Amino acid sequence: MRARILAILAYIGAAVTLLIAACVPFVLMGVFSNAVAHAGLHMDPSYSGGTIVRTVAHGRYQTDVYAPVRPRALQQVHAFVQVAFRPVSALPRHVSEEIDLDGDGQPDVRVSFTVPTGPHARPIGEVVALNAKYQSFTMPGNYSFSEMMVQSGGAVVVRVPLR
Amino acid sequence: MASRVLPRPPAFRSVGRSVLLTLPMALWALLMFTPSFRQPGRNSHIGALLVILFMTALFFLMMRTGKTYRWRRYFFVALGLLFPVGFIASLVAVRGTMSIPIERMVSGDTPFCYMVIPMLILPAAVTRTIIFPGSILPTASNPHSIAIMIGLWLALTLVVGKAWCSYICFFGGIEEGFAALPKRMKIRKLDPRLRLVPWAILLFVVVLSAALFEPVYCMWLCPFKTVTEYPAVHSVQTAIQMGIFITLFGGLVVVLPYLTRKRTQCAFFCPFGAFQSLFNKINLFEIRFDREKCVDCTLCQTACPTMALSAESIREGKTLLNCMKCGACVDSCKKSAAVWHLKGTKVALKPERARLLFLYGAWAMATMFGGSILANSISTIIGFLPLR
Repeated sequence: MRARILAILAYIGAAVTLLIAACVPFVLMGVFSNAVAHAGLHMDPSYSGGTIVRTVAHGRYQTDVYAPVRPRALQQVHAFVQVAFRPVSALPRHVSEEIDLDGDGQPDVRVSFTVPTGPHARPIGEVVALNAKYQSFTMPGNYSFSEMMVQSGGAVVVRVPLR
Repeated sequence: MASRVLPRPPAFRSVGRSVLLTLPMALWALLMFTPSFRQPGRNSHIGALLVILFMTALFFLMMRTGKTYRWRRYFFVALGLLFPVGFIASLVAVRGTMSIPIERMVSGDTPFCYMVIPMLILPAAVTRTIIFPGSILPTASNPHSIAIMIGLWLALTLVVGKAWCSYICFFGGIEEGFAALPKRMKIRKLDPRLRLVPWAILLFVVVLSAALFEPVYCMWLCPFKTVTEYPAVHSVQTAIQMGIFITLFGGLVVVLPYLTRKRTQCAFFCPFGAFQSLFNKINLFEIRFDREKCVDCTLCQTACPTMALSAESIREGKTLLNCMKCGACVDSCKKSAAVWHLKGTKVALKPERARLLFLYGAWAMATMFGGSILANSISTIIGFLPLR
């Protein structure tokens, strides 16, 4: 009797599996994807740059200053602050701007670069630290997650490494 | 002397019954590719049509001959060989290169691969952070978002479980192709302890990824970076990474499968495969051995591409946890002792019924996922041909 009940349950299970298979492209994939999308997950700030804490408007374009990103656990990324100039299409040919990164009202770095003309081209420029907390660098140079000056997502993204 | 004509072995099933059993799969394939015919572009229509015919024909042959592995392999090798074609072509079209420049990682434009999933779990559970340079929601430049791919993986895993590795994975077909090339094994003796290595690598990459907050396997160990995408080589570290990818691909995906006729990357290295093995515990379908028929000839052990059988497991009438239900053991068994089985039912009572129930689900998923990859790649290849 037990074997018979088990067998009936097994066939019900197999039928349910087939039903699930039929639902995958029409319902299930979307349900699971939505569940993942709404699970409150976020990208690691070493990739995304973290959250914007200040925006400075310059008429046609704006400068977004992000919160400092510090490595977690044994993460190999150096601490950095991201700055984004967007949109690229509205930027003047050459940008040179003194930026307050820590929100104390004093400029911390001077970012200067020539705006790239092509969609895959990289900006050429430099970051000069005006505050000892930050590091200067020039680009093109050694691109890393904590030190870069690139064109990404419709903006010129600059990451300034912290000392 | 009159020559003696040996009778042909009887077909497993009549043409009529085989057609009837194939009909649902043919309709499913049509349903899956109907949207392709609504889109403009002759190439995508041809790709979709060829895939419908290919998948339906293979399923018919499975029904007609009673063999699973033999016909599944054509699909799987085609998937393994054609996936890189479509993928690389799309990469070159979008970014002009196979390498991932740092700006694409920063903007979340890296296509998500299911291999990353085991490494995401710990950091996501503890810090709610995704340690992969993709985007959670699909974007215009990256439709293969993390949410979509994890959703797809969850749904497919519910249906196929560990059979992912023999019906869904677009990498496994490459080594299965190389393993199919030689007539005989050049290396026959393989240490059975090697099958524990994927578990060790799984543990290693999961713990290290959680500690380093980066997908360690993708950054350092994935052989398939060689035929998909890789970090742009701009430093000694990225050059070493590239060297590792190429060495592992050459060794585990090309040379060793050729020498051993096994899927060595899957059997002895792949942490995602080990992770997927856990779902064999909850999946209803499995391969079992009818001990009354089994003569311990070990033909099944030799045929198994992932060493998922041992003498002890066969004596117990079971496969090991890493069985991916490809059907090689069932196809090779001359005594019909290796059988498809639905958990909860009596072993070898209705093996063909269990096989059919399994195959409908697995082949439907293979057609949906792998089929669309094949269609896309075929359409890309046709685009390259100098046709009017």
